[in-house]
Amino acid sequence: MKRFDLELGVGLFFILGIICLGYLSIKLGRMEVLGNEGYKVYAIFSNSGGLKTGSSVVIAGVDVGRVKGITLEDYQARVILNLPESVKIQEDAIASIKTKGLIGEKYIEITPGGSEKIIPEGGRIRETQPAVDLEELISKFVFGKL
Amino acid sequence: MKVMYLWQGVVSLFLAFAISFQAFAGEPTDQIKLTTDRIISILTDSALKEPARAEERRKLIRKAADERFDWEEMARRSLARHWAGRTDEEKREFIPLFSDLLERTYMDKVEGYSGEKVVYEGETVEGDFGVVKVEILTAKDTEISVEYRVRRKGNGWFIYDVSIEGVSLVNNYRSQFNSIILRSSYRELVKKLEAKLAKK
Repeated sequence: MKRFDLELGVGLFFILGIICLGYLSIKLGRMEVLGNEGYKVYAIFSNSGGLKTGSSVVIAGVDVGRVKGITLEDYQARVILNLPESVKIQEDAIASIKTKGLIGEKYIEITPGGSEKIIPEGGRIRETQPAVDLEELISKFVFGKL
Repeated sequence: MKVMYLWQGVVSLFLAFAISFQAFAGEPTDQIKLTTDRIISILTDSALKEPARAEERRKLIRKAADERFDWEEMARRSLARHWAGRTDEEKREFIPLFSDLLERTYMDKVEGYSGEKVVYEGETVEGDFGVVKVEILTAKDTEISVEYRVRRKGNGWFIYDVSIEGVSLVNNYRSQFNSIILRSSYRELVKKLEAKLAKK
């Protein structure tokens, strides 16, 4: 009888450990368990500059969503953004790719517009600003001086 | 018989109109090219280069730009969330203020034109919106990429935003106006713009 209790205890402890591990990996990996909730919009950038799936989407400095996927479309980057239902994006909002610090990671900033029209679920943010390629700018500046 | 002729007349007149409208509505690139060429011809006109006619030259350039830029849309997009809160009177007052600000900021640069070439790289049109891509080649062979974002309004395409090397003009003013309005007030922004315009 005593032996049975010990086995039960170990089993329970083991299961608890696995649950904790699962929770941790979902949290840290920023995965979604119930995939399809939220408000999804997409934007097309001529240069995504190393943006990654999972990069943050920011409005006024507040982290509101994540990049859900990046695919190539007609040699441009099509970026899908996943935002909470409570956030509404106007059709004249501008999405721009910015860098944290000078060489930090990339994120998307949305500057809200003033239009009454709201982009529907699955719609497109028309106005975009691609990542600024620092190297290209420097080379332009350097060779422009010739 | 007479009725027949009349009909023919009406039909041909209608056709002529339809064709001319189509030519006028044309592609966004053609319209931007038209305005750009006109401004360049004003800039290179040696008769207008005399200092005494500087004012006249500026007026001509502004007039050509007025025909292609949708100042109201640009002002609306730049004020963004704060536009809806403005009264009609404030909106009427803000639009010329905004276009004068752009004139003041960019006129010197336009007047400094020294034979830069404009190469039209293509356009994309989607419904009533379009993008015209342009490369500006300077005398030193530097390429500057410019994107005109245009919107169809009646028979013409009008510019509502300009991106230079991927940096949008409207986005720049939008964040500046937003931070001024949030820090102080809309009236303060108008005062600032007026002060800037009054400065010679």
